[in-house]
Amino acid sequence: MSEHGGDGFDLPIVEVFSTDFWKAFAPETILICGLLMIFIIPNLGNSKFRIPLTKVRVPWFLGGRRFKLTGSPAIPGILATGTLFTALGMMVIEAIDGKMDTTTVVSGDIIILQMDNFSRFFEILFLAAVLLASMASLDRIPAHTFEGKKSLEEMYDNRRQADFYILMLTTAIGMCIVALAQDLFVLFVGLELASLATYVLVGFHKESKAGAESGVKYFIVGSVASGVGLYGLSLLYLEFGSLQLHTIAANWADSTILGTLALGLVLVGFGFKVSAAPFHFAAPDAYAGANSPVAGVLATASKAMGMIGLIRVLLVIALPEAGADESAIWLYTLATLSVITMTWGNVAALGSTNPKRMLAYSSVAHAGYMLAALTAVGAWKWGEVEAPGDYAEAIVAAVLFHLFVLVAFKLGAFLVLGLLEMEGGASRLSALSGLARRDPLIGTAMFIFMLALAGVPPLAGFMSKFLVIAGIVSTSVGELWMNGTVSFSDIHWVWWLALAMFINSAISVFYYLRIGVVMFLDVPEEGRRKPLPYGASIRMAIWICLVATILLGLSGDTLIDMCYRAADSLNLA
Amino acid sequence: MGSNQALDIKNKEFMLIGGLLIIVAGLMAFFPSLNDSDTTVDWISLPLVGFPIIVSCILLAFASQESRARKEIIAVPIRLFTLVASLIPLAISTALFFDWLILVDWDLMYNEYALEKEYVWIETIGVSWHVGMDGLSFPMVWLTTFLVPITIITTWDEKDGATYHPLLLMMGGALIGVFVALDLFLFYVFWELTLIPMFFLILKWGGKDRRYAAQKFFIYTFCASVIMLLGLITLYFLQPEGSGAQYGTVTGRTFDMTVLFSNATAYNMGDNVFLGEDMQNILFAMLMIGFLVKLPAVPFHTWLPDAHVQAPTGGSMLLAGVMLKMGAYGMLRIPIAIFPDAVVYYQDVIMAIGLISLVWGAIVCLGQTNLKKMVAYSSVSHMGVILLGIASMQPIGYAAALFMMFAHGIISPMLFAVCGAFKHHYHSMEIGAMRGMAKWSPYLAVYMMFAWMASLGLPLLAGFVAELMVMIAFWPEYGWWILLPGAVLAITAAYYLWSMQRTIFEGGDEGQPPESLNGETPPDITLSENIGMIILAIFTVIFGIFPFIALGMMDQWTVAFFEGVFNLGGI
Repeated sequence: MSEHGGDGFDLPIVEVFSTDFWKAFAPETILICGLLMIFIIPNLGNSKFRIPLTKVRVPWFLGGRRFKLTGSPAIPGILATGTLFTALGMMVIEAIDGKMDTTTVVSGDIIILQMDNFSRFFEILFLAAVLLASMASLDRIPAHTFEGKKSLEEMYDNRRQADFYILMLTTAIGMCIVALAQDLFVLFVGLELASLATYVLVGFHKESKAGAESGVKYFIVGSVASGVGLYGLSLLYLEFGSLQLHTIAANWADSTILGTLALGLVLVGFGFKVSAAPFHFAAPDAYAGANSPVAGVLATASKAMGMIGLIRVLLVIALPEAGADESAIWLYTLATLSVITMTWGNVAALGSTNPKRMLAYSSVAHAGYMLAALTAVGAWKWGEVEAPGDYAEAIVAAVLFHLFVLVAFKLGAFLVLGLLEMEGGASRLSALSGLARRDPLIGTAMFIFMLALAGVPPLAGFMSKFLVIAGIVSTSVGELWMNGTVSFSDIHWVWWLALAMFINSAISVFYYLRIGVVMFLDVPEEGRRKPLPYGASIRMAIWICLVATILLGLSGDTLIDMCYRAADSLNLA
Repeated sequence: MGSNQALDIKNKEFMLIGGLLIIVAGLMAFFPSLNDSDTTVDWISLPLVGFPIIVSCILLAFASQESRARKEIIAVPIRLFTLVASLIPLAISTALFFDWLILVDWDLMYNEYALEKEYVWIETIGVSWHVGMDGLSFPMVWLTTFLVPITIITTWDEKDGATYHPLLLMMGGALIGVFVALDLFLFYVFWELTLIPMFFLILKWGGKDRRYAAQKFFIYTFCASVIMLLGLITLYFLQPEGSGAQYGTVTGRTFDMTVLFSNATAYNMGDNVFLGEDMQNILFAMLMIGFLVKLPAVPFHTWLPDAHVQAPTGGSMLLAGVMLKMGAYGMLRIPIAIFPDAVVYYQDVIMAIGLISLVWGAIVCLGQTNLKKMVAYSSVSHMGVILLGIASMQPIGYAAALFMMFAHGIISPMLFAVCGAFKHHYHSMEIGAMRGMAKWSPYLAVYMMFAWMASLGLPLLAGFVAELMVMIAFWPEYGWWILLPGAVLAITAAYYLWSMQRTIFEGGDEGQPPESLNGETPPDITLSENIGMIILAIFTVIFGIFPFIALGMMDQWTVAFFEGVFNLGGI
């Protein structure tokens, strides 16, 4: 077997579908088994199969009159949540001690997947987000198991239980493939698997106009972006004759303008996923129309998935070693895009009165922050800054930390909106009015999520923003202290990106605070005077998010370590 | 039935949160110490900082779950409990001053701290829970522990006491955290944490425009502090890499202030300065912006009148008493200590900002018709005096700035307590609307007169000492410019006397109650207000006659500071 790692140490390399393969990919296998179970279990029934030409009927169990226990509409949700929980648990136990082996999956000469700290980190992130969302969906799209006459909506809800959770699991599996992929084509397949599932999830409430509209919009824009990305991939193949990440990276320095162009087209596809300007226009509509847990998955897991693409393409392939002047254009483009993205997101969020649109725009702003961080890595890698490799690692680790803690507080905020959706819409700011009076703990939780989004210490949001900015500043400053007295002109221009981030987060405080003011000060609107509906699992999901938001802010050392290990396995230096 | 069930479940949630908080408290108690051999009792982390915050969090979680009617019932026990809880830090800080608990060595050199404790917090980037006190911070800590119970007593009758008083307690804990933090990260965390209880105090108990005032307060100070944070991070990465327990395992830098100070001192002492000149100036300016907004100095002061006028009495008392001093404290603690050359560079700018604050605040006061707004602007004016003390570059000027912080911290709560009493009993704060108040509210009249006199700098009261010292320090550096602050003190006397004369005495034999009372006879102040204000008055006199109680410690700190930082030992 050929040695693809190139570093000389012995990586376990397994052939696809061999025994070792199943051993290494046990959590992912569980996900697929769970998916199959949701297909099969609700369909178990008393049907019998007649052996042809005889009168013998053999029990066949698929179809016929469904069994009462397995046919219950609550089963798919429980199965999906259980599956996700099991897979997540296995991954966390494996990852937290940091002794995970890197496993590479090959088919012949082609590296397909690689399981390392980086991919495991993202898989944990994806599964955590989807798990929380599906826990919340148990209440948000409830299965009505009581006997007797059911209303039309309840019947709808019951009928689509299996569909919903199948799509959720498919999203999770697609995202895991993106995290593991070592070949751009495989990465793209995973991306499309997850995307197609999310297109449907966004438009899932097809009886409501907003849902259908947003689903169609998201699908059209998303498929155009995917098409452009796919075109870019084909151009890349034309240039390099391979879509293997390591092959392209090795040959990148010799590439022609075609390679640069192709890369730009690929970036469009990923830019749409992270909702970076100017590809972010569909995001607010999609988030506003989707039900909140799904919107939360879009804002956290889906964004992280796009970020994997950007990291793989920008940091692993492009932005080569010092001295390649053609690459400079990437640096400036990325810097400009990041500033535009964060400013646009924040300014647009200032004016939006729909909390879900506001969160969508804030998510755009967060994408801008992460692009700024990638620019800083680029500045380091391009050799503009004299700094050892651990600087770049620190920034990537900060981005990973940011993506991870977003699951806690951004998804948490969406889940609170989901709780509000259970008693009516949550698409007006006034839906939140007096929330703190109606349900003080949920109101406080929402306020804490808002503060975390704004970056107020000691919450996780502050920690993540702090780490990202510290990363950018560290790159811009580099090892200047060694030269004795430091002058301001010695500092690299990416320092100004940190300033832009700070000014933007100062702008963002305004709209995050507005939510707090509305919740604590305003009188609840008509029809929302009663206590909030009680949903055990959605509340549990909110509490998990809340505890994570506070704890990861107070002591994030374990997670930071995990992020560093993940960034380390990218082998940037 | 449904709502009952929901209530039960909510109580379970409350228990969940309470349990979590207790776990966090437990974790805090068992933070791994950096120095294993250090087995002395930690008198700062839990007793002074953690205890008030945790107690108030639990009380808030408890009280917010109750219905409106139940809240009224539990308000009294919660108030009492809060008061007792706030007296514990006061007892501890007083005992530490008088060496009742343990023998504390307050005789400190520069960059030495009493009761220092350090625990590992975030190893990867070199953040530790590092606390300690010196002559700069201890008076502020004592002041905070002193003001919180006073504030609780004075505003005993505030509505919704079940959540109001715990918020005051939380505010106190966060403020103490700012003063004892010896780690830049920790400092910033507490710095921002103080915003949250204040935001709620203004938002829920404020006046008519409270929504605007609360948001303006939060956003204004938050913007300033993010610029400060960028300065801190840049500073962090510009310091030389090192190795040791305080240094981050990944970044190789540290947020530990003591290490930073000793590095800066070592560099500044030698021929090479710590960072280039322009870098020093830029970082100094970035840090100062955060502190000047908090102080507030004149171009950045506009949040203060809004916040004060809208804030409830207790919020105003803590805001003026301690929160403004965070700005002056931060200046002395971080930028001035690290960049002495930049202080020299910016000396005239600081002096100009101080003078403008002083003059502008006083002139605006002359035109105010709202009592509370006038007092708020007088705070701006007095904070200018602190800047003058700093700009003088004299040890006595610094000691004066410290004593001004302390004296203003006792006098200004009393000013706001008087304003609050007006609001409470007269439902109006318009200066022209009421006359002859001395007839109905003799106690209030006496307190008003006393507080006003103390604030304009009457000899034998605390404010006078500080102003006199600033003048002494100002003369050798700026000469006849001294006429300007001198004239401003006259203006101060003018607006104070004018407002007092109109409210207390005018109006003939019958006086003129404000229309907002609708013809009722205005009552005198309540017992709790009486108690709170008389304690403040007593301490104003004590520190006016015996300033050396606090000044001794401040003096010592100043001398050590000048030796350590400016390398001069007094100009």
